[in-house]
Amino acid sequence: MNELKNKVTQLLNDKAIDVFIGYGQGSADRIRAIFVRTAEQAGNLIFNASCTQNLAGYLLKHEVKHLGKLGILANTAALRSMMQLASEFQIRDSEVLVLFVNPDGSLTEFSSFISIETFLGSTDTGITADEKSRIEKLEAMTVKERWEFWNTEFEKCIKCYACRAACPMCYCHRCTTDVNQPQWIPVASHERGNLDYHLMRAMHLAGRCVNCGECANACPMDIPLNLLTYQLIEPIKADFGATAGMKADAMYALSTFKPEDKENFII
Amino acid sequence: MPRIGVFVCHCGENISATVNCEKVAKISSELKGVEFSTDYKYMCSDPGQTMLKEAIKEHKLDGVVVAACSPRMHEPTFRKACAEAGLNPYLCEMSNIREHCSWVHPKDDLTTEKAEDLVRVMVEKVKKNKPLNSIKVPVTKTALVIGGGVAGIQAALDIANCGHKVIMVEKQPSIGGHMSQLSETFPTLDCSQCILTPRMVEIAQHPNITLFTYAEVEKVDGFIGNFKVTIRKKSKSLDEHLCTGCGLCTTKCPQKKIPNEFERGLGYRPAIYVPFPQAVPNKPVIDRENCTYYIKGKCKVCEIVCPTKAIRFDQEDEIVEVDAGAIVLATGFDVLQPDFFPEYGYGKYKDVIDGLQFERLASASGPTLGEIRRPSDGQIPKKIVFVACAGSRDPAKGIEYCSKICCMYTAKHAMLYKHKVHDGTPYVFYMDIRAGGKMYEEFVRRAIVEDETHYIRGRVSTIYEKNGKLIVKGADTLMGAQPIEIEADMVVLATAGVASKGAEALAQTVHVSYDSYKFFAEAHPKLKPVETNTAGIFLAGACQAPKDIPESVAAASGAAVKVAALFSNSELTREPLVAVVNRQAPPVFSSCVGCFLCQSVCPYLAIEREEIKNRNGEVIKTLAKVNEGLCQGCGTCVALCRTKAIDIHGYSNQQVYTEVMALLNE
Amino acid sequence: MQEFEPKIVAFVCNWCTYAGADLTGTSRIKYSANVKIIRFPCTGRIDFMILMKAFENGADGIIVSGCHPNDCHYSTGNFHARRRWIVFRNLLNFTGIDTERIQFSWVSAAEGFKWADVVNNTVARINEMGPYENYSKIAVSTLLNEEVDSNE
Repeated sequence: MNELKNKVTQLLNDKAIDVFIGYGQGSADRIRAIFVRTAEQAGNLIFNASCTQNLAGYLLKHEVKHLGKLGILANTAALRSMMQLASEFQIRDSEVLVLFVNPDGSLTEFSSFISIETFLGSTDTGITADEKSRIEKLEAMTVKERWEFWNTEFEKCIKCYACRAACPMCYCHRCTTDVNQPQWIPVASHERGNLDYHLMRAMHLAGRCVNCGECANACPMDIPLNLLTYQLIEPIKADFGATAGMKADAMYALSTFKPEDKENFII
Repeated sequence: MPRIGVFVCHCGENISATVNCEKVAKISSELKGVEFSTDYKYMCSDPGQTMLKEAIKEHKLDGVVVAACSPRMHEPTFRKACAEAGLNPYLCEMSNIREHCSWVHPKDDLTTEKAEDLVRVMVEKVKKNKPLNSIKVPVTKTALVIGGGVAGIQAALDIANCGHKVIMVEKQPSIGGHMSQLSETFPTLDCSQCILTPRMVEIAQHPNITLFTYAEVEKVDGFIGNFKVTIRKKSKSLDEHLCTGCGLCTTKCPQKKIPNEFERGLGYRPAIYVPFPQAVPNKPVIDRENCTYYIKGKCKVCEIVCPTKAIRFDQEDEIVEVDAGAIVLATGFDVLQPDFFPEYGYGKYKDVIDGLQFERLASASGPTLGEIRRPSDGQIPKKIVFVACAGSRDPAKGIEYCSKICCMYTAKHAMLYKHKVHDGTPYVFYMDIRAGGKMYEEFVRRAIVEDETHYIRGRVSTIYEKNGKLIVKGADTLMGAQPIEIEADMVVLATAGVASKGAEALAQTVHVSYDSYKFFAEAHPKLKPVETNTAGIFLAGACQAPKDIPESVAAASGAAVKVAALFSNSELTREPLVAVVNRQAPPVFSSCVGCFLCQSVCPYLAIEREEIKNRNGEVIKTLAKVNEGLCQGCGTCVALCRTKAIDIHGYSNQQVYTEVMALLNE
Repeated sequence: MQEFEPKIVAFVCNWCTYAGADLTGTSRIKYSANVKIIRFPCTGRIDFMILMKAFENGADGIIVSGCHPNDCHYSTGNFHARRRWIVFRNLLNFTGIDTERIQFSWVSAAEGFKWADVVNNTVARINEMGPYENYSKIAVSTLLNEEVDSNE
């Protein structure tokens, strides 16, 4: 942790960065993101086992971007988010200074996208066994049972859009939901509109979700909405060979195709 | 408040036999915003169209729905009528209540209700239509022809004879291509150079044609009607204006043993050379890789002997930028080196040669002055074996496709051989004989009957040398796969025709698609064989697929007429149903987030990147922008855009939403 | 009890299926009147939200049809559409929406008979499945406690 504080202090003093995004102590034992701009503030940086939030979500927020050159303490999920954002032309190589805490506590500074890609190639980036079993349980239900399950969940949704705000991939400054000419997605928090919103989000994230889980973490109603996007990860990998967040110039599954793509439902 | 007019056509009895047209008109008149609604016997007739125009004027209509046949039939008719009445043509829609309703359903209430639904959908849609104007794109009436073989030559002459300017770029020192290497052509046995060289001279002398040889296209920017092309003219080390083509330098050059590419390695040339005697332009170039001066800094004999002092050793490549309205690709093909069949001994045995090398032997101006002689010892071969399909139709080791011309040129080679070596015996090992053109089958018959060529149906398994002879082992499948062995003096392999070297790189420079064999992709294999998916770029000749000379010439003329059609107006008029990325006031500029998914899916490269700069010239945003000169209006980008920043006229988000809502809600 | 007349919307591309349906008409081949066509320039234009909107507004079934792969008038639109549908179908299935209610097909401009078959088979299937109540059950009116009580 000291190494981290010292490193950040040095970076700020050298003017290599203007603001560093890291973890700090929140209220009531919670961890929160902090935005360090001075050497003094660097003292507030912490790092422990509870620091799991994907901080990449802050990189494109206007309030953070305009502060200048960014530095970030990334975990594996954040690195993947950054690769995916790079492949969508939202961040450029060496635009963000990336620090990573290794399992043994030492710091790695990633100098370029290539080094991040190489690192990610050697890590395990799939969904957890628990998430996998929850998806399998759902897939084992009948269509009707699944409808009941999801409708019960979406009944709870209050359309707070915290999931959208937390997801690093939801960076559109005018979301489709906010388009009212025409209003494709109803904004009221009734079940039908909720279903539309979550279906739309899942489709927009298909092939882009890096399974960081921030959406489910952020949901105040504890809806397991990350399962919707996670469930698509395996089929997209199996059918199209595409995995999000591994390369900075990856092709997006839904904007590419192979003439021999297989399906069994088109007559 | 909209003022829509609804016109329900009876189409004689075609619609009214099963649909109650009066009822449809009445129900439609009750829709909100419909100012006028009527039914009529024949809307497309003159009185029908007059009635439509008068109704527009009388009721001051700002939208029209004609419920009749398919819009694929009469949409242009009614749009024209509306335009004549002063209503923007894109405020007119058609509802298909004939092909999709009256003709396919029985006479009952459900059918009339469906017609009412279909009309209601279009009434609601047309309320969201915007007036649009045709897009006009200016056209530069200069064509760029890349490639100076027979196809490029034909295309250039055709376009130039229409009165348009042509720039031809050829990477070799002379135009002529492979056809200039041939000795005689099938099925007429015309001397190839005799029929080609007059055309080559025409190119050089044509007032509308500018010829750049020893040059390549380096960069192509822009779009149809407005291409900006960068051409690199490689240095010939020569001042072309001073050179008279006397050729003295080529006789004095001390470097005499450079393998001659035109002779396919069967002869030599000097370092300063003219590729062949009939070359156009007939001026030499210095091959700097093999010239003593460039390697060692000594010699300069050519400069000393040149009577007009035309040699320029320190001349540099010249970059030329030209504007063109259309591009014709005519880069031809190459012959595949058959060294992937080691069992045939190509490269190992000097007397195993390929078809193009045989052409040079047979050619009167070739390395043996037209006599068929073995490359190894100069003897005249008495037994010659031709192996067809040496590399083609072979998914295992060679090329899967058929190279089309080999059956014919193999027959031709057998005949030429027999005409020159009267006591010789030609053999041809073949799989099938493909002679589908005019007089082609008769030609092959001549080779077999008149010139006594032995055709053996079977493949060759191996060729090896023994006692100065080439032993060719094959099978005769028509005799029950009987093994056959021939002691040949020479073997000619009919190798595959493949895409020319550099085709892939050129395709990427010019932005056309190509297939897995690197042949350029046509827009439609049946109906658009000389067009590509890139507007303004056309194909001529073997660069699209192996073809013989008449087909190449036909394709070239086809491409030329496409160019002439493009140039027939000074502006290109296009349907305005194209995509557009929204723009807003600063500091937002657009809801586009610059992810460029739209750009990656557009098959026409119609999406560009626009950099938005601040007053200091720094780029603050890069946004997508549609080039309406290129967009064909498919809408794939619109469906893909997550933030709905891109929309398409005629099928906009608003219009489609309205159609669905109107259909399902009464 | 009014006989169930399925409401089926067909989203088709202009160059192949719309023309194919025109051919069906020209050939006077009869098919069920329950299917109504909305025209698109290309299947690539058909957004998944359009399908959702159709169900939301009472469609019992949907047909989406375009050019065969490699035949797209715009060369690649249907390839992109195909991938989109593979993913969307997966998602719908996982969310509990019966994908049997959506029929995807490739119908070319020459396949007049095929279009009639696609329509008739889809209508027969939807007839058997009955009206699509999932969406109408969770109608907006639940907020106003009108006729449908979704908790029963």
